[in-house]
Amino acid sequence: MRRLLPILMLLVTIIVYGFLFQGVWESRELVRAKTPVGYTIPSKFSRILALGNQGVLSDFLFLKIATFIGGKSGSGELLNEEDWQFVAQSLDAVIDLDPFFVDPYMLAEGLLAWDAGKPEEANQLLIKGMKYRTWDWRLPFFTGFNYFYFLKDYETASGFIMQASQLPGSPAYLATLGARLAYYGGKSKTALLFLQQMLADTDDVMMKKRLQKRLQALESAVVIEEALEKFKIQEGRLPKELSELVSSGYLVMLPSDPYGGKWGILKNGRVFSTSKFANAPQENPKIKQTPSK
Amino acid sequence: MKSVFALATITYKEGIRNRSLFGIALLALFLFGFNITVAGFFMRDVGKVTVDMNLSALSFAGLLLVFFVGVNLMAKDIDRKTIHLVLSKPISRAQYIWGKYLGIQFFISVSLLLLFVFSCLTVGLLLNLYPNYFIGFSWTNFFIACFFVLVKFSVLAAIVVFFSSITSSSLITLIFSISSYVVGITIEEVVFYLRSEFSAQEKIISESLQTFIDIVSYMIPNFAVFDFTLEAAHGLVITSQRIFLSFGYGAIYISILLMLASLIFSRREFN
Repeated sequence: MRRLLPILMLLVTIIVYGFLFQGVWESRELVRAKTPVGYTIPSKFSRILALGNQGVLSDFLFLKIATFIGGKSGSGELLNEEDWQFVAQSLDAVIDLDPFFVDPYMLAEGLLAWDAGKPEEANQLLIKGMKYRTWDWRLPFFTGFNYFYFLKDYETASGFIMQASQLPGSPAYLATLGARLAYYGGKSKTALLFLQQMLADTDDVMMKKRLQKRLQALESAVVIEEALEKFKIQEGRLPKELSELVSSGYLVMLPSDPYGGKWGILKNGRVFSTSKFANAPQENPKIKQTPSK
Repeated sequence: MKSVFALATITYKEGIRNRSLFGIALLALFLFGFNITVAGFFMRDVGKVTVDMNLSALSFAGLLLVFFVGVNLMAKDIDRKTIHLVLSKPISRAQYIWGKYLGIQFFISVSLLLLFVFSCLTVGLLLNLYPNYFIGFSWTNFFIACFFVLVKFSVLAAIVVFFSSITSSSLITLIFSISSYVVGITIEEVVFYLRSEFSAQEKIISESLQTFIDIVSYMIPNFAVFDFTLEAAHGLVITSQRIFLSFGYGAIYISILLMLASLIFSRREFN
């Protein structure tokens, strides 16, 4: 009995530990879900605190952002303004720690510009990066894209696209694209070219899906715009409603909007969709895919 | 000269036999393995992450080598009073200092070389796994960065030797060396931060603080000089001028410290 007692006690404590272990982890999960996201140590301090390991610290911080966003989207939670602020600040800190690191720029473009509706913030980071990654055409390309697509500033956009076209490795059509931008800024076809490039340049599965959906929507818009163009030339006027294109034989049927919206036409002849090509328009008030009435 | 080398060989052998060497090697190997796992989490710059992690692992291992084994090698003689036995041999005190330093230096070089081979294997493996994501990578830059990790720890070893020549306990040597390392690795950021921030806001930094920082920056080596991680990670150009400057800076700093240590050690009394 004397020999068995210590072993028994050990077993009992191990069992108690097992219960406690579960309880502790469950409570931590609750605590973590409630705590506000976090605070990014400003790069001025983290550069010093890294003790010469700025590179690894930037990698770690980047992973932290990626898991933060992955965790949120995994549980189906939408990121709120505070969360996006955290993401933007952290990305900025990562870039300060290692301004040559390309991943944070890609994440800034993919998330801040597209998901958060903060193209200005994304552009700030991208423009910061251009000072360092002087050879990388993607940074000015993305900046130009954001100016064109989200901010509707075609002149600035064409400037950045031209800048991108002069860098090594950039696709050949960028130069003409940049030049045409200023003239055909509002047309869906220009956006189509952009999106095709973005798609070719993306490995991320989530991003790819999102882009493909948007590409599909834009292709539909282009089909309608082209039919509209023909209608305008032959009839000398704009149709009152888009269904007129179908009834007079310019279109077999109106293509569907993958975002679930209805197509409409503005007085100036611009095609738009009520979905504004967004899954949750109220979440992204800044994104305006088509000019609204 | 012969006695210096004899002492160096003994010190080296003593270091290689140290058990903590296995622990440090295991830790470094774990970090390299960790690197292989983590690299896949990144979208594009796998090459950069790999180089970062490898150089940091080497750095960390070097740091442990100097602090755990190097300090021990230097201070054991004084702690255990075997120094009396050594100094009774026909060897001058300056020779003792140089011999000990060379031994530690040789020990660190051999250990780091071994880890370097493993590091190269890791990088090579990842290079084969993700050939498209190593665009800016260059082996030359990586080798230069690894070499300067060694230079960095040679300087740190000289600091350890210097402090053990003036203190009487290995703990004090350890504390002084760690403090010097922390100051040395951060001093550049602090100097440039103060320079940019205060000149930008046209604030006047107190004169005594400025003098203090100036003096510290002269006394403590700027370890950021030996940091080529950024260049290795992104394949940026490293000018030969920078390599010579960094190497010369390290070599001269080591010589000054060892000469000072010899001077102090020659006048020291043991009881």
